[in-house]
Amino acid sequence: MRILLIEDDTILGAAVRDQINADGHCVDWVTRLDAAADHARNAVYDLVLLDLMLPDGRGIGFLRNLRARGDTTPVIILSALDQVSDRIEGLDAGADDYMVKPFDLSELSSRLKAVARRYAGNPNPLIEIGDLQIDLAARSIRRNGKNVGLTAREWVLYEAFLQRPGQLMSKSQLEERLYSFNDDVDSNTIEVHVSRLRKKLGHGAIDTVRGVGYRLGTA
Amino acid sequence: MTAPRSLQWRLSLWLGSGMALLWLATALVTMNNLRHELDAVFDSSLEETAQRILPLAVLEIIGREDDGIASQDMATLRTHDEYFTYVVRDDKGAVLLRSHGADDSVFPPFSQMGFASSPTHRLYFDAALQGTVTIAVAEPLAHRRAVGSKAFFGLMLAFGPLVLLSFLGVWVIVRLSMVPIRAFRSGIEQRGGGDLTPISAAALPSEIEPIAGALNSLLDRLRRTLEAERSFTASSAHELRTPVAAALAQTQRLISETTDASTLERATQIETALRRLARLSEKLMQLAKAEGGRLQAEQAVDVAPVLRMIVREMAKDGADRIELTLPPRPVMSRIDPDAFAILARNLIENALKHGAPDEAVRVILSEDGGLAVANAGEAVPPETLARLARPFERGDTHASGSGLGLAIANAIASGVGGSLTLVSPLPGQTSGFEAKFENSALKHPGKLEDAR
Repeated sequence: MRILLIEDDTILGAAVRDQINADGHCVDWVTRLDAAADHARNAVYDLVLLDLMLPDGRGIGFLRNLRARGDTTPVIILSALDQVSDRIEGLDAGADDYMVKPFDLSELSSRLKAVARRYAGNPNPLIEIGDLQIDLAARSIRRNGKNVGLTAREWVLYEAFLQRPGQLMSKSQLEERLYSFNDDVDSNTIEVHVSRLRKKLGHGAIDTVRGVGYRLGTA
Repeated sequence: MTAPRSLQWRLSLWLGSGMALLWLATALVTMNNLRHELDAVFDSSLEETAQRILPLAVLEIIGREDDGIASQDMATLRTHDEYFTYVVRDDKGAVLLRSHGADDSVFPPFSQMGFASSPTHRLYFDAALQGTVTIAVAEPLAHRRAVGSKAFFGLMLAFGPLVLLSFLGVWVIVRLSMVPIRAFRSGIEQRGGGDLTPISAAALPSEIEPIAGALNSLLDRLRRTLEAERSFTASSAHELRTPVAAALAQTQRLISETTDASTLERATQIETALRRLARLSEKLMQLAKAEGGRLQAEQAVDVAPVLRMIVREMAKDGADRIELTLPPRPVMSRIDPDAFAILARNLIENALKHGAPDEAVRVILSEDGGLAVANAGEAVPPETLARLARPFERGDTHASGSGLGLAIANAIASGVGGSLTLVSPLPGQTSGFEAKFENSALKHPGKLEDAR
C-alpha cells in the first residue's frame, strides 16, 4: 500500500514511517497540511494517517476537504485528543478509524490492514485461492499446508493484487504503490518482484496481460 | 411570631402598617379639631339659650302678682329629653324659675357672668337688672361626649375599610413590582451546573440590576475559567501524549529491529515503563478533569451512542466479552459526554481487569441515565469495598493498574450530583462485583432540585 503520513512530531513520525516500511508499504511523510494537500492532489494513496493538531492548522479541515472533493481514500486519525467529542468529530468528518496517542505500533499495523481490507470489500482476513491459504491479518501464506515466506515488498505487491481481484494493474500503478516520491525505482523492479512471487506461489499466482499489465491469477 | 423572610411580605407589612398608622393619626387629629369645633358650637348655643330665656324670664318675674311664690317650674308642652336645663335666681340665690327637668344641685351659686364647668356639666351664667336676676344654663358633658363619640365612630367606620383596602393595594403593588425579580430568580434556578449563559436582567429594578450584572459577570468569568481549564487539560494532554507516543513508538521499533539480546531486554523494560507512564498520565489527566468543573453539559445529550462507541472501541482493543444493554429510547442526560465516557470507560476497564477473565462483563444503561457494570469473580470483602473508590487504593489483586479508575468514576459521579455504589457479591449471589452509577440530576433535566 502507498500511505500518506501526516505527523508533525519528527520522532514519532520516523517510528511510524519505519514500522510501515517494515510492513512493506511505502510512505510519504509530511509534517504540514499544505504539503499533505499537495501530495494528496498529485498521487493516489491507499490510506492516509492523519494527525489532528498540526503547525498550520487542524487535520480535521484537511479530512473534510478530502471528503468534499469526493476522495474516498481510507483515513485513520492518530491524535492526542481523546475526548469523545473529538472522536465523534473525527469519525463524522469521514475518518475510518481513530487512534489515540500513545498507541502500539503493532496495533497500528493491524488497524491499517483491517481498514484496507474493509475498503477492498473483504473484511475477512482469510482467503483461499487454489492451493494457497492466505491470512491477510497475520500476513502469512500457506501453500499446500506449508508456510511460504514473503519479503515485505513481495507481500505488499501480492496484497495489491488480492485487494483488486480480476482488475488489471499497470506497471506504473504497481510502482506507485510500492515506492514513495523520493525512492529511486529501477525500471525492471516490478518484473523482478513478480517473477519471485511466481516462484514462491506458483506460476499461475499472477497473470501477465502482455503490453498492459498484470492481474491476480487463479494459482 | 418571627418576622416574615420574603420581601413581598416585609414590604406589604411595613408599608401597610405605616399607612394604617398614618390614617389613624389623621383620624385622631381630625377628631381633636372636631371636638373643639363642637365645643364652640355647643357653647355658643348655650350662651344663645341663656340670652334668649333671660329677658323672657325677667318679664315673667316682673309680671308676677304675688311675690310670695318662691319658685315656679316651667310647664312643658310635651315631655322630651332636655339637653339644656336652666334656673333663674334672684340676688339672694332663691330660685325664681327653673326648666322642668332642672336639678338645683347641678347649678353652683352665681359668681360671675360667662362660662363655667362643673365635673358633670358645662354652664353659662348671665345676669339682668343690675344683677338682681341671674340665669344659669347647664348642659350635661355626657351629651357632648356622646356626640363626640358618635362622630368618632362614624369616622372610624369610614377609615376601617380604607385601611384594609390600602393593605390590599400595597400587597398587589408590591407583588407586581416583584414580577421581574421572580423571573430573575427562576432564571438562576434554571441554570443547571452546566448552563452558564447570562441571565436576562430586563425590567429588573435598578436596585437589583447591579446584582444581576455581578452575577452575569461572575457566570462569564466562571465560563471563561472553565473553558481555559478545559483547553488547558486538552492541550496538556496533547503535549504529554505526543512525546510519550514518540518514545514508545521508537522503543517498539528498537525492539523489532534489534538482534542483540541484552538490547532487546532493556528496550522491553523501557517499553513497560513507558506504558506505565502513559497509563498513569492518562489517569491523572482524567482525575484532573473529574475533579475540575465542567462535568455538566449546557444541553442534554443522548449518552447511549457515547456508551456504544466506548464499548466498540474497547472491543476493538481485544475486550470482546462486553455485553451491552441499551434502552430502546435515547437517554438524554446533562452529564458532559466526555465525563460520561471517562466514567464508563473506567468502570468497564475495572470490571475487565479484575473480574473473572473468561466471564462476560455486563454493561447496562438504564432509561434514567444510570449505568451498571457487573462482572463475575470472587466477592470483595466489605472492608476492601469501602476504600476502593479512594485514589491509589487497590483491592487484593495482582492485576496491574493505577488504582485510580474507581476514584475517577467516583469523582465524576459526585461532581454531577450523582453517586457511585459498589456492590459485592452481586445481590442474591455469593460472588461477583457491580459498580452502579446513579445520576439524580438526570431525572430533572434542566432544573436544579427545588431549593426553596
